[in-house]
Amino acid sequence: MTTQRPGNTVFRFARHDAAEAGNGVQRLPAGDLCLRVMDTPNAPNFDATAPPGTAVDLNQQLAQLLERIADGDQASFAEFYRLTSRRVFGMARRVLIDPELSEDTVQEVFLQVWQNAAKFDPGSGSPLAWLMTISHRRAVDRVRSSQSATEREARYGASSQDIDHDSVSDQVDSRLEAEAVVRCLETLTETQQESVRLAYYGGLTYREVAEKLNAAIPTIKSRIRDGLIRLKSCLGVS
Amino acid sequence: MTDTNDSRGRQLPRAFAADIPTDLAAGRAVELAEIYALDAISDAEREAIDTYVGGAPEAERASFNERVRQARETLAMSFTAEEEPPADLFARIVAQLPEQPARAQAPRREAAAEGPAAPAAVPTAEPAPAGDELSAARQRRDVRRRPAGLRNWLIGVAAAAVIALGGVGIGAYVANQNDPFNQVIEAQDARQATVDVNGGGTATVSISPSHDALVVRMKDVPPPPAGKVYQMWLIPKDGSTPVSQGLMDAEALSKPALVKGIGSAAALGITVEPAGGSATPTLPTVAAAPLNT
Repeated sequence: MTTQRPGNTVFRFARHDAAEAGNGVQRLPAGDLCLRVMDTPNAPNFDATAPPGTAVDLNQQLAQLLERIADGDQASFAEFYRLTSRRVFGMARRVLIDPELSEDTVQEVFLQVWQNAAKFDPGSGSPLAWLMTISHRRAVDRVRSSQSATEREARYGASSQDIDHDSVSDQVDSRLEAEAVVRCLETLTETQQESVRLAYYGGLTYREVAEKLNAAIPTIKSRIRDGLIRLKSCLGVS
Repeated sequence: MTDTNDSRGRQLPRAFAADIPTDLAAGRAVELAEIYALDAISDAEREAIDTYVGGAPEAERASFNERVRQARETLAMSFTAEEEPPADLFARIVAQLPEQPARAQAPRREAAAEGPAAPAAVPTAEPAPAGDELSAARQRRDVRRRPAGLRNWLIGVAAAAVIALGGVGIGAYVANQNDPFNQVIEAQDARQATVDVNGGGTATVSISPSHDALVVRMKDVPPPPAGKVYQMWLIPKDGSTPVSQGLMDAEALSKPALVKGIGSAAALGITVEPAGGSATPTLPTVAAAPLNT
């Protein structure tokens, strides 16, 4: 069953293009990673030479697939799922902990992808950001309706305190991306990191974060804002 | 407070109030973009922000949207926990898919409106630049492969969802042992799974590798539309053409269906076809189940 996955041809071609470009692939020193990584996050140019395994490469594939999903192409939907379901489920599990609730959320998310693929607008963000926005919103809605804030805090505390990233990739470029994220996260203060994490994986509102950390509400709002802006700048998101 | 503006001893307009309405009234909507993107607000607060931004001056709205977009890109890059979902999850999603995605009813977006980002794969997009043979070839191939067959589709299902069937054999021995349906259902190695049928109801598939057969039982499935029938297909593992396993009209729906020779099948699919059936399946499927034989 490992052969003939329908969408494979699609990105095999994309990678073939990259290989064709050969030396034309731009290689920047590691220090410029952030800038390179998000160089063209919203412009799916399928003839571009994004290194395979990177965010840009993935976003190019996903944008292409979304176009076809919008036309009802189920093979593309299957490929889109194959490429992204680990991310969506991974996030849902972090937020919801409960496997069944997480699976329900993943189902809702991909049904929404199927139905709203035509509404995806490359001008307002990358496919991955679009997908993860839908996913996080769904997960948060569900966790808030099914668990009290106290439960969420307790559960969050029991789960990992780290912001996870794909550290197992054997693709050099995607590993460098992950390292950039780690490096950029370290530029945040501990309290900024903590507040952003509690909101993202804990599903807490800024008010609940403030209560949990015993901090003033305006302070938490500032931490979240400043933390995300700092992360954005470091990662070179433009 | 070390990471806030106040820590510098300055009273900056960016400093937040305790509640969202006060922030909005004080002109700090754009400063709420990150909290908004992070979903760290209540539904009521989200609504208040949406309402405010919807009625805000163009420049303010654009700034807010831009900050939200950047925050979302940042989050998508930074929080990348991964976990393998259950193998049958995709099949469950597929079983729930409505017939057509949104664009099938709506006119296609104008390629021009998408600007330079319009993917080359869209047939209505501007022609590939001269000399870009690969791109042009890909575009032609894409058009050819657009009516992707059920074969591709269900192989996709099977690849994503390795084993959908699980559980234990069915309980009590109830009926005539010579009944071929019961032989399958009550076989020692029988397993079963129930999938939703698009349009309503469920299909329960009982599979017995030792009998090289499966039984499909529909429950609460509406009769096919006038002039249509349900048609069942086995999709071979080797990627060859799906094989029809027969038709089900309104009457047949209430009876179990026996499908033999499943050893080489990767999946079972059910489609809606014109009366008399079709030689090849018409997409989309109304139900699909990967088989692990």
